[in-house]
Amino acid sequence: MIEPSLALYGDAFERVDQVIQDLLETTGVRYGLLVDRKGFVLSHKEALWAPRPPALDSVATLVASNAAATAALANMLGERTFSEQIHQGENGTLYVESVGTDSLLTLIFDASVPLGKVKLYAKKSITQIAAILEELKDIPPVQLGEDFSQGANALLDDLLG
Amino acid sequence: MSTINFAAREINCKIVYYGPGMSGKTTNLKHVFSKVPGHLRGEMVSLATEDERTLFFDFLPLDLGTVQGFKTRFHLYTVPGQVFYNASRKLILRGVDGIVFVADSAPNRLRANAESMRNLRENLQEHGIDVRDVPIVLQINKRDLPDALPTAMIRSVIDPKGELQLFEAMSDKGVGVFETLKTVSRLVLERLSQNK
Ligand SMILES: Nc1nc2c(ncn2[C@@H]2O[C@H](COP(=O)(O)OP(=O)(O)OP(=O)(O)O)[C@@H](O)[C@H]2O)c(=O)[nH]1
Ligand SMILES: [Mg+2]
Repeated sequence: MIEPSLALYGDAFERVDQVIQDLLETTGVRYGLLVDRKGFVLSHKEALWAPRPPALDSVATLVASNAAATAALANMLGERTFSEQIHQGENGTLYVESVGTDSLLTLIFDASVPLGKVKLYAKKSITQIAAILEELKDIPPVQLGEDFSQGANALLDDLLG
Repeated sequence: MSTINFAAREINCKIVYYGPGMSGKTTNLKHVFSKVPGHLRGEMVSLATEDERTLFFDFLPLDLGTVQGFKTRFHLYTVPGQVFYNASRKLILRGVDGIVFVADSAPNRLRANAESMRNLRENLQEHGIDVRDVPIVLQINKRDLPDALPTAMIRSVIDPKGELQLFEAMSDKGVGVFETLKTVSRLVLERLSQNK
């Protein structure tokens, strides 16, 4: 029942990576993240010219929580869902859209980049990513054994004393 | 910060601190934040009201390191304990892998402890999770209070069958914080290796 999000980065995720990279190059978006609904970063790309990104763990958590709160609101108001989230500031924009049921595409870009263009290209990328994630569903879960448990416990001792 | 290496594999676990308002959930996270070396943890994010009550959640990411090729990470969350924030509490439980229930030793919070545990069960159920399927560790906090109730009495209202591992704590002094976290982390990792 419990679902430790276990993300496998194989060939499929390299393709996701490429889709986000292409999107950044076509649109001029600064940072692109694929975030799961639990708030973990699945994939992250930044434009070559972009400065050091903010703490991505925090961004992912806030984006996922925000999406969860928005979905709960939609539900209360009798909507199946609210579509994308857009937050526009003086200098830039945060744009978030669902990719299937399990993840969120998060794009951060400067005010000089037209939102309409980003939305248009993002739609295409989302379709591609959704298809790749769909394939991943058929991959059998990884088997972690006794060794994993022991190794992890040793590290826990290091981390928490 | 975290650049994802696609050749690598990752395991991410979500641990939620639950319990009644003011029991010391945020205090636990603050202590962990202050004691874990900077390169093993990220920033702590707190969505709180002006008077420091949790409004949505606190968040703290911890890096365990790499185990058998798996980069392993814990995300710690606290829920807002105040009764009327239930909608937020429910959201935070999404995808939970392990729970620390922080109970308050004050006599006038006995009932709040019991109600919070009942609320936890209900909220888990709404996510389709049986309370027995998630590792839960019990922390009885504020043992320093002069009128602190006996732990047995507190346990009897939240865990009458005595099934949960229990730690006494004074989280504002850091006592019991790491023991609790370590135990719940270990239980979560055990689950993982049993592929449950
Ligand atoms: N005496 C005593 N006070 C404590 C202890 N741990 C925490 N506190 C205090 O209890 C108060 C509430 O602590 P928080 O950590 O903010 O409580 P919380 O569970 O996060 O509360 P909510 O966010 O409202 O759910 C603070 O003033 C803490 O300093 C303890 O072990 N003993
Ligand atoms: Mg709090």
